[in-house]
Amino acid sequence: MTDAAPAAPPPIIDLRPRRPRHVVALEWARTNLFDGVVNTLLTLATVAFLLWSIPIALRWLVIDAVGIGGDVAACKTAGGACWAFLRVKGDVILTGTYPFDERWRAQIAAVVTLATVAVALFWRGGVLGLAGLFLAGCLANLALLSGGVLGLAPVDATRWNGLPLVLFLSVFTMAAALPIGIFLALARKSQAVVIRLVAIAWIETIRGIPMVAVLFAGVFILPLLMPPGWYTSSMVSIFVVLTVFHAAYFAEDVRSGLDDFDAGQIEAAYSIGLTHWRTLRLVVLPQALRTALPALTNSIIGGYKDTSLVAIVGLFDLMATSRLATADVEWQAYSLEANIVVGAFYLVTCVAVSERFRRLAHIDAPK
Amino acid sequence: MAATAPAAPADLVVGRPPPKPVLLTRRRIRSATWQTALAVALIAAGYYAHLNVTRNLAASGVAIDFGFLTREAGFDVSEQLVAYTPKDSYARVLFVGFLNTLLLAATTLVLSSAIGLAIGIASTSRNWLVRNLARVYIELLRNLPKLLIVLALYIAMVRGLPLVRAAWTLPGGALLANRGLYLPWPEIPVGTAALAAIAVVWIAATWTWARAVKRHQDVTGVRRAVALPAAAGLVFAVALAHAAGVVEVRWSVPALTGFNITGGAHLTVQFTALWLSLSIYHASQIAEIVRGGIISVDKGQREAAAALGLRPSRVLRLIVLPQAIRVIVPPLGNQYLNLIKNTSIALAVGYSDLVGVMNTAVNQTFRPVELMLVVMLVFLAINLTTAAALNWFAAWARPPGTTR
Repeated sequence: MTDAAPAAPPPIIDLRPRRPRHVVALEWARTNLFDGVVNTLLTLATVAFLLWSIPIALRWLVIDAVGIGGDVAACKTAGGACWAFLRVKGDVILTGTYPFDERWRAQIAAVVTLATVAVALFWRGGVLGLAGLFLAGCLANLALLSGGVLGLAPVDATRWNGLPLVLFLSVFTMAAALPIGIFLALARKSQAVVIRLVAIAWIETIRGIPMVAVLFAGVFILPLLMPPGWYTSSMVSIFVVLTVFHAAYFAEDVRSGLDDFDAGQIEAAYSIGLTHWRTLRLVVLPQALRTALPALTNSIIGGYKDTSLVAIVGLFDLMATSRLATADVEWQAYSLEANIVVGAFYLVTCVAVSERFRRLAHIDAPK
Repeated sequence: MAATAPAAPADLVVGRPPPKPVLLTRRRIRSATWQTALAVALIAAGYYAHLNVTRNLAASGVAIDFGFLTREAGFDVSEQLVAYTPKDSYARVLFVGFLNTLLLAATTLVLSSAIGLAIGIASTSRNWLVRNLARVYIELLRNLPKLLIVLALYIAMVRGLPLVRAAWTLPGGALLANRGLYLPWPEIPVGTAALAAIAVVWIAATWTWARAVKRHQDVTGVRRAVALPAAAGLVFAVALAHAAGVVEVRWSVPALTGFNITGGAHLTVQFTALWLSLSIYHASQIAEIVRGGIISVDKGQREAAAALGLRPSRVLRLIVLPQAIRVIVPPLGNQYLNLIKNTSIALAVGYSDLVGVMNTAVNQTFRPVELMLVVMLVFLAINLTTAAALNWFAAWARPPGTTR
């Protein structure tokens, strides 16, 4: 997909006789691959590299690999990948140490989060409905994962692992952070000194320190800030600091949209009698957010990928559960297979979300 | 900024007298009330948080006190740039971690910039194959979590690389084994000061020559060579000093002696994995920025340059990149700041960077407040310094006669 060619030139009607296909192909090759000495050498080097690397990759991935139905004995002798590992240890990678008999709850929780995101990406309703959707998704996740309601057995937060954890933390912290980020961006441009200073301190402090340090602050500092006895689990702390973290980055993206905003429109809105808040809600934000959408997309994708860093403070993301799966001596040698599958999942979800946001930016653009 | 937007010219409206300046309008009073309330609430929350911290710490028998920094740390680190033993103080071990962070950040910055520039240029190549391969690289690595890349490479290196006694020999004499990368490294037994003096003189001479070339080009339009004479001059100066016996530079090549590899510079497997994986990860982001900069340069400029008879490499170096750099520098600066912060994932593979050392220290001392404060201040300082340097560079890279 390319979003090139913003204004297509008028079609030129070609009245020349159609040339044979191989002539066209040769000409294409000459202009695109063998255009001068340097380009020819580059092409040859690239082709040599591909001829060398693709067979190796194919042999490992497919030809010499043990299929999903194989067993560990076959894997030991095979020269390629061991996909049987995924059949045996797929559960561990997906849900980690979540109680075995209750796994279905974690799986449904992951599906609920994915469905929430999918519905949100195609949402045509109002903002309140969208907020309700995310709230419902979050509550459903909490009910499914923690249990204790509807006759579900309670499960300790330390056992929420793998995919449901990553999706839960990334999606709902960012959903909570977006409105906060918008308020922070507005606060940063406010004429009230105290409000502006608070916003600047929040945004610049968070953006100045690494996410890993922010996560450590959640684990080490946040429990100390709360009254004795209030501390429940590191899950809550991580949720809070991730929200605080994403909000600061979203605020900067939204600010970039506000910066480009034409002040004349605000004056026009005031002059037709709109109040301050209605001007913001009806005139400024819809346009500023659209301008900020590419930057927001980057932050959202980055935030989603970086949620895996919770592994460093001891939560079990997909990388940590992959490690758990290869902790079994018999299956020790197959961490690359786990990495490939986890990587493919990230690749597909990231590309899908950024592609959808790119379309949104085009669909909503003023004609 | 909306704050600086021109005020509505209400006093120009016919038939309405200009409003008198009033010190206390209703809006101002309301705003001041709100702000005061917010400030009071913040101070109260801050005081309450302080109270909670004190109470919570008192429950575990400690109080905020930086005195522990001078006490013996008692734990070892994976690598150090300055002398360190577990008998040294916490302040010292934090300093060791800080240097490790700087080392990782600096080396990653250089490598990722080099790869990113190459891939970015490749992604705008006229060669279809090269261009699309570069796009695949960018899209693939931009959509993977960095932790995944780091861990995959680290585990692959630990498992896949041979033992030290069967180390792979790389071109140039470097050795690669599961204990790390061993690089040939110059040793300077004699004449460090003389070498430094040569370097200073060389930099000054190159700078003067580059300015003279620029002046000559401005006057006559003829461009003389810069890079080749500069390199030749350096080689000549060092060779001369070597022959005169003022300076002695030896090339220390790593070699297997007994059960270990001696000589050269040793990069641990943790460092190598982090360095390479963070570099290829950030290279994809940098490549995208470089690509954006290059395609922002008007196509007509390339065509005009080609029409004047400039070679493609010169078109890129003299026409495209100097203009692209203006577009590239601001997002590149952000990317560099991200890169520096991202070195903190070193903890995932056990490299003793600042955050890693802090983590161990917190677990030993239970002084999270003090240690987190130190780490936060250090990172804020690094970031501010880097941002200042980047701003300076952006001002410097700006062509004369332009603002922003």
